[in-house]
Amino acid sequence: MAVLALACVALALIPLGSIVYTVVVRGASVVNPEFFTQIQPIPCSPGANLTCTQGGIGNAIVGTFLLLGLSSAIAIPLGLLAGIYLAEYGKGPLVFAVRFFADVMTGLPSIVMGLFIFATFQLAFPGFVFSAIAGALALAVIIIPFVARTSEEALRLVPGSIREAALALGVPKYRVTVRVVLSSAREGIVTGALLAMARVGGETAPLLLTAGGNSFYSVRLDQPIAAMSLVIYNFATTPYANWNALAWGAALLLVVIMLGLSIAARFLLRHRFHEQRIRG
Amino acid sequence: MPQAAERKALEKSLQKLNENMVTLAELSELAIRKAIDGLTRRDAEVAREVFTLDQEVYGLQLEIERTCIDLIALHAPVARDLRTVTTSLKITTDLDRIGRYAKDLSELTLQFGGKATGERADVARIREMADRTIQMVDTAIDAFVQRDAESVRNIMEVDDAVDRMHDEIFVDLVRRMEDRSLDTEVGARYILVNRYLERIADHAVNIGLRVVYMVTGDWLPRVRAADRVKRYPK
Amino acid sequence: MTRKLAAEKVSAWYGPKKAIEDISLDFEEHATTAIIGPSGCGKSTLIRCLNRLHETVPKARVEGKVLLDDKDVYADDPVAVRRRVGMVFQKANPFPTMSVYDNVAAALRLNGVRDRGKLDKTVKRSLEQAALWDEVKDYLGKPGVSLSGGQQQRLCIARALAAEPEVLLMDEPCSALDPIATAKIEDLIFDLKKDYTVVIVTHNMQQAARVADTTAFMYLGHLIEVGGTRELFERPRETLTESYITGRFG
Repeated sequence: MAVLALACVALALIPLGSIVYTVVVRGASVVNPEFFTQIQPIPCSPGANLTCTQGGIGNAIVGTFLLLGLSSAIAIPLGLLAGIYLAEYGKGPLVFAVRFFADVMTGLPSIVMGLFIFATFQLAFPGFVFSAIAGALALAVIIIPFVARTSEEALRLVPGSIREAALALGVPKYRVTVRVVLSSAREGIVTGALLAMARVGGETAPLLLTAGGNSFYSVRLDQPIAAMSLVIYNFATTPYANWNALAWGAALLLVVIMLGLSIAARFLLRHRFHEQRIRG
Repeated sequence: MPQAAERKALEKSLQKLNENMVTLAELSELAIRKAIDGLTRRDAEVAREVFTLDQEVYGLQLEIERTCIDLIALHAPVARDLRTVTTSLKITTDLDRIGRYAKDLSELTLQFGGKATGERADVARIREMADRTIQMVDTAIDAFVQRDAESVRNIMEVDDAVDRMHDEIFVDLVRRMEDRSLDTEVGARYILVNRYLERIADHAVNIGLRVVYMVTGDWLPRVRAADRVKRYPK
Repeated sequence: MTRKLAAEKVSAWYGPKKAIEDISLDFEEHATTAIIGPSGCGKSTLIRCLNRLHETVPKARVEGKVLLDDKDVYADDPVAVRRRVGMVFQKANPFPTMSVYDNVAAALRLNGVRDRGKLDKTVKRSLEQAALWDEVKDYLGKPGVSLSGGQQQRLCIARALAAEPEVLLMDEPCSALDPIATAKIEDLIFDLKKDYTVVIVTHNMQQAARVADTTAFMYLGHLIEVGGTRELFERPRETLTESYITGRFG
């Protein structure tokens, strides 16, 4: 039985191993200082009398970080507040409705979220359909329900006895929530936020309809913006070798960043259990 | 819904305690009856039986004490159980004393030997007091066995009557010893008999009052000997 | 006897289920009152109505009055009530992310007190009152949850006392503790009643007999009998009370 289980694990790990291997092998050659600072080069394939510039994805890196940062800054507080409502203050059928829709939204295809923002902007802000702000909003809409649910779960894990102990001291409920419950749940909440960021960092579909992509450095909210996932999408399907190489490099970088975020989330969880040792 | 618990260990111990107490009470009553009987009929044989009874009483009393201490230590009794155990502990002293006085009366019987008993009148009066005393003991012990507080609630009044009889008999005995109608040695012994009977009645009162406490929790005050002196100034 | 706290015809529900009915009970000042009864009789529900904690449970409801110094606490701000009526729970519940010091100081800190001097003084005083100071004075920075069970419970007592309440409610405070820790806390209760009014819920009758001046017996949501502890344990008036305390239910 154990052998069978082990075999299945090995089988499951093969694709993962393969992906990591391929990405590292194909992408590593491209990763150098030029990669991080230059913008995309003229597309070309190395030939007899043609040398191609490698170029870089500096603008895409900046773009991804901007989108991630902006969407997180908008969505995480909103999601957290929603999570607090669900865990601490919700009463009656409204709570179930909110929770149900949040769960549904976390499962919706991300392109639908992108479409939603795209359509909204078409109607309301037609000049800004392809802009950084639209892209950030599309990502935010994905993050909010996710963070709401993970925060709610983290808050629920805080035992009721802690809340009661604080209330029994004559502390008003809002202060109990903010200063005691939230602080007890902080690791779970941060973990949820990091996982949310890891998830949207690699999103491509919503950005196709909103951020648009940009060949140059740009940090303007009202202009289209580049992103690493868009680079992969656009460059991998072209016949140009240097663009393909950059796509692999972007893939590698994305994997490393997302892996880093996930590991950070796991690390936080482990640290928490270690601290709760009860003597006697 | 809480389950009914039987507290088997406690019940068993309480049952054993009750059986022993009943036995002890019966032995004490038997001792006093035999002692009076032997005294009245000057029967040395019966008198000697009382000595044996007194030994049994003493032995049983020790065992009961042990049982009560174990009950308290192991079961931490409360309410009715507590009152039962503490009352038993106290009553054994009274019952033991009754047994002791029975033995003392029997000793007097042996000392009387074949001597002249004196006029019928003295013996009659003392016989009457003895009957009253035995009845008090019987009532008190019965009340204990039946857990009946009502029958002993006015046991002190009955004791008052016995006390009066004791005083009258005493005065009478002294008078007759003074005018030589009664042999001094005999008279002296009868004074002791008188005394013992009165003390036995007192112990019966104690038992009765403690039974009232055991059953109802009411703590009736006992009139102490010192106060009695005030009641009958001489 | 000065009546510090009193329940007047208090009834409480959890949703549709009535947990306690028409309870009227006085709690004497500077004395310990114990509430005993079998599991489910409503004794915990009753004391949670005394500091208005019962209503924080969803779908919970209370009727009747609770008088603190003859003023109904249900006509007052619940937060203010809970500052005057403190509570210690069955299972010690120190705040897990806080140190020993922070736990005790929580009542003050969470209500805005920042003065370090005042906090230090209060923490020391409360830990001394809870007979814990000597054991933890060199470990104030350690996490509250790293103490032993008995110490944690005394920490919770210190935390409750730091808020300077007038009444201290204790819901089976020793039920999770070993006999020595229990004895320490009982000694503590004995000392505490000099300055506070103590109400203790316990299912251990000997504990009630040891620490309480007055004992109340509850059964199936009703108050069956209340009286001086000695009288109740020597000659209870109600048969039901007698059956319960002699351990023979049914």
